[in-house]
Amino acid sequence: MSSETHATPASHARQYLIIFAVLAALTALEVGVAYVTGHRRAVMATLFALALVKAACVALFFMHLKWEARLLRIIVVIPLALPVVYALVLITESIWRRIG
Amino acid sequence: MEHAAHGPATWPADAQFGRSSAGKIAMWIFLVSDGLSFAGLLLAYGILRGESQVWRHPGEPELGIAFTAGLTFLLICSSVTMVFAFEAAERNQRGRAAALLLATALGGALFLLGQYSEYFGILHPGLTKEGLVFGQSAYASTFYVVTGFHGMHVLSGTIYILITLGRYLKGTATAAQIELLGLFWHFVDLVWILVFTIVYLIPAGP
Repeated sequence: MSSETHATPASHARQYLIIFAVLAALTALEVGVAYVTGHRRAVMATLFALALVKAACVALFFMHLKWEARLLRIIVVIPLALPVVYALVLITESIWRRIG
Repeated sequence: MEHAAHGPATWPADAQFGRSSAGKIAMWIFLVSDGLSFAGLLLAYGILRGESQVWRHPGEPELGIAFTAGLTFLLICSSVTMVFAFEAAERNQRGRAAALLLATALGGALFLLGQYSEYFGILHPGLTKEGLVFGQSAYASTFYVVTGFHGMHVLSGTIYILITLGRYLKGTATAAQIELLGLFWHFVDLVWILVFTIVYLIPAGP
């Protein structure tokens, strides 16, 4: 997907509306999950998973990464994946310290 | 880069980057660096919260999930109007593109109004009056820093939309420039999705 083609590109209107519905539904689901009492770790894992799915939908469809060149996708995704790895390392370290 | 009169911009295909323009690659590099700033803030938030014995002190209010979910939905709606503004601009539907850009800017302005109401109160006392005071606890300070930093992005994005809209109406902005604007706006939406989850939805432990 790009504005920079000679011909008018095909419309993605249907996909945009589907993604809108998915984002709205997942937001409602997130709010429902947040009110679940107990099962804190399961709630947290579910909320993170839902947030990552929503973020991926925005990046892939609204920001057009799905239709971009592979190299551009790599340049974007790898640096932004590193903080997630760093967060996992910190969580692991924290759990390890508490167990120890 | 060539522009047909008010039509889609053209750019020669590149072996590595396809038809991505220099402007688009530059915007992505900016967004990645900005994303790392947010990542730093959210990691610091996670460390402070994870290591604290008491996160929310007595007298400090809970954050309003239902109200903020509404703001989240508003940002999602504004992302939709933005992608349709870009599609309209690509098809040279100038009136439709301008109206959708205006709707997107309105979404941003409403989000900011909502955030102001959350902080300072409009129809009800805001968080500052309910006891969530910057500097009094890590809970309060991280909340204002993270959401305030995001709010600054919404403010700058709304101004960016209005400037681009003015240039588009004068005929000096193209569909390609609206696509770059859209990248910034969707990034603001994407970051809010993560902020909403981490700051508002994650339940207090253990």
